[in-house]
Amino acid sequence: MAATAAHQFAQCTTCHAWSPDHSMIAFCPNSNEVHIYRLLQEKWEKMHVLQKHDQIVSGIDWSISSNRIVTVSHDRNSYVWNQEGADWVPTLVILRINRAALCVQWSPRGNKFAVGSGAKTVCICYYEQENNWWVSKLIRKKHDSSVTSVAWHPNNILLATTSTDAKCRIFSTFIKGVDKRSSGAGSSSDAKFGEQIVQLDLSFGWAFGVKWSPSGKTLAYTGHNSVIHFVDDIGPSPSAQTVAFRDLPLRDVLFVSERMVIGVGYDCNPMVFAADERGIWSFIRFLTERKTASAGVKYGSQLSGAFGKLYGQSKYSTGNDTVQVSIPDGNVHENCINCIMPLNKAKDSTTMRFSTSGMDGKVVIWDLDNQLDLHEYI
Amino acid sequence: MAEHVEADNAEAIITRIEHKSRKIESLLKQYKPVEALKTALEGAPPKTRDERCKSANWIVVHRALMAIKDVDGMFSSLDPEYYDILMKYLYRGLSTGDRPTCDQCLRIHEKLTQKAGLGCILRCLTDTINTV
Repeated sequence: MAATAAHQFAQCTTCHAWSPDHSMIAFCPNSNEVHIYRLLQEKWEKMHVLQKHDQIVSGIDWSISSNRIVTVSHDRNSYVWNQEGADWVPTLVILRINRAALCVQWSPRGNKFAVGSGAKTVCICYYEQENNWWVSKLIRKKHDSSVTSVAWHPNNILLATTSTDAKCRIFSTFIKGVDKRSSGAGSSSDAKFGEQIVQLDLSFGWAFGVKWSPSGKTLAYTGHNSVIHFVDDIGPSPSAQTVAFRDLPLRDVLFVSERMVIGVGYDCNPMVFAADERGIWSFIRFLTERKTASAGVKYGSQLSGAFGKLYGQSKYSTGNDTVQVSIPDGNVHENCINCIMPLNKAKDSTTMRFSTSGMDGKVVIWDLDNQLDLHEYI
Repeated sequence: MAEHVEADNAEAIITRIEHKSRKIESLLKQYKPVEALKTALEGAPPKTRDERCKSANWIVVHRALMAIKDVDGMFSSLDPEYYDILMKYLYRGLSTGDRPTCDQCLRIHEKLTQKAGLGCILRCLTDTINTV
């Protein structure tokens, strides 16, 4: 069984993030609050509630390097939370956008963070020591629609974005005084702030969920049209592969190694994609195999399963604070999965453990250790 | 993405579709309905916004689609690369509201969904650029 633990934290979660040592989890229970829980003797205990936003929190990221939390919300604001003693102290970051903020991610070095918004802009925020203030610099007039996801290249300069105009774009976010020019990093790191390196126009539907491989050589993004794109040689002449699959679309992706990607989304069951030794990507299997007799029966059972989900929602047990070990049959998630986070140590380039959360309010921890057939790709 | 060719190329596209239509008629006479359908789907959707071209191609696809009698047999010789475009034409067929066309499209739709999955339907519904 790939899922090692599942816990029902709320009726619905919009996003989640882990503390650097993975002992605490921050998530938004589809409200204006962020809840922080800690695992104490097999029990999740609520430690803090971060209340500052006015509307739904759409993005949380917990910096690995500095133990800071950044949150963004539909109220168009962002807060950076610093732990001082027992409390989390918020600092408002004025993003200067006139629509909801949708996603956020710390840069690998933790000195910048990027916010995607419904205002067709991306904000790159950094700390100004002399003013004791987080500054937001905008990348404007590049996106034709809402920015749904942002992803940092390991070099701390390049940023990939996906948006609902069906495109994936890559920008330079070089900020003078924050970033240093590195001599051996090639031409792409010489670009000015906000310069578009490449625009990928492969998808015909909303694009969601973009990630770089651990080395930054490959980029993967997905779309609302049940396809996933893999792009190599980012630069003037990128090479791309598109894999169309037979099931519902994905919302987010995660590279667990250079050659293996986990996709999560509307099918409620993580999908595994991998590249063979020639570098050709394909769909391998679902992480939890469905128990189905034949392909013909599959559709009937899938639909009735969906109806069961709709009518069976009163069975939520939100007050239950014990770790439930997942039931080994059927899907662990009962609704769309919208967030996937790695659970590896900072130095490891491969991810054997990761967590997913979704609209069913569950957070599930997955372990690839006992998935022997997948080890050849890790 | 390929640029959409506009009006002056429309005539060229129509000529190509007419040529395709003659080929399909001869394939149907030889009792090769699946070959006819493949021919009809090839080069579709026409890379244009010109509705005349799209309608002309639909007439050709419709002709081949209605000639399919054995749906299971069709899928045993139709390659997966045709699934996405076939799905788009099935939805175009269903939108006509014509009884025999809808009956035929629904019959094929059921089998195609089994073969190609819900992802195929999603790709058809979300694509607002390459319409048929």
